[in-house]
Amino acid sequence: MLDSTHFDEDLLKTLHAVAGAGIHNAARGFSSLLGHQIQVLNPVVRVVPILEIPRYVGGPESEAIGIYLRAEGDIAGQIMLIIPFHKGLELVDLLMDVPAGTTTQLGSLERSALGEVGNLTGTFFLNAVANLTGTSVRPTPPAVIVDMVGAILDVIIATTGGVTESVILMQAEFIDGERSVETNFWVIPDPTTLKTFRNGVSAES
Amino acid sequence: MNDPINVGLGERVISADPADVLVAYGLGSCLGISMYDPVRRLCGMIHAVLPQRMNGAEPDSARFVDSGIEGLIHEMERRGADPRRSIFRMAGGANMLLASGVSHTFDIGNRNVEAALRTFQRLGIVLKAKDVGGNLGRTVRLYVADGRMTVRILNGKEQEL
Repeated sequence: MLDSTHFDEDLLKTLHAVAGAGIHNAARGFSSLLGHQIQVLNPVVRVVPILEIPRYVGGPESEAIGIYLRAEGDIAGQIMLIIPFHKGLELVDLLMDVPAGTTTQLGSLERSALGEVGNLTGTFFLNAVANLTGTSVRPTPPAVIVDMVGAILDVIIATTGGVTESVILMQAEFIDGERSVETNFWVIPDPTTLKTFRNGVSAES
Repeated sequence: MNDPINVGLGERVISADPADVLVAYGLGSCLGISMYDPVRRLCGMIHAVLPQRMNGAEPDSARFVDSGIEGLIHEMERRGADPRRSIFRMAGGANMLLASGVSHTFDIGNRNVEAALRTFQRLGIVLKAKDVGGNLGRTVRLYVADGRMTVRILNGKEQEL
């Protein structure tokens, strides 16, 4: 059983370093997708009890886009990006290089563009994690879900609800000139993966 | 009408106040299971997350479908309800990853529904109505005033179950 007491200060420090590097690397991936520089502001890492997740994402009934990936390899876990629906539309505008407000609904093209965002950010994030911990890890293809926040979160709650009591929340704001998109990454490492991070700490110190 | 009472993840809420509405927001693979005793006008709902109770969990934990149903019935009985005349309904149990390549890894929604049907059968209870499965999230409301249960999907209208 993994619970919040397992996230001690040393582990959190490592997670901060890993997450910070991961998010900045994800921004680089994002930049290459768009063809120009994207900045990341104020990445925040915190450990959140799994049952409190809906409170962080605008309430369980609000409409959102979830981009879900699994990480497989030496490091295993799940990554979920959650973006409020209207912000997701803005993100598509940004990806398609059209004026803000152009995209009003998500068809298959828009969904696959968002999937690509998940793919890129996920891959770059995992690469940073792998580099820092000396492990090998790869992401599964992304699934894009448009629904109520609560229903999207059920994907991770259902797969971890019995074992993991806490998840890692990383919040970051991606800035592209005048436009900005806030994202919530939920990273849910499998228990063995936390051990890898812990070993990473002892190897460094 | 009072402010809606949120039945959060793994929670059980029981009310006899006719001005109350119990709501489980944004159910994905989770199940909202309700019980209404029309004589005592008592309503209860659980928001269950996983199919089977795990070792070490409270015996009446609402986090799990099987222990949640039993816990709901016991607590409703303790407050005067009679399960034999009560109305049971459930909604949720969707597979949120139905359209994606990872869906086969876990289908908790379906397992939750099966666990509920098994538990009801074991207890000799007949479900009055259910709206389960698919790949859409649902918000479920239970009106204490008349025991009405409604289901709403994203951008949809509230529909009586």
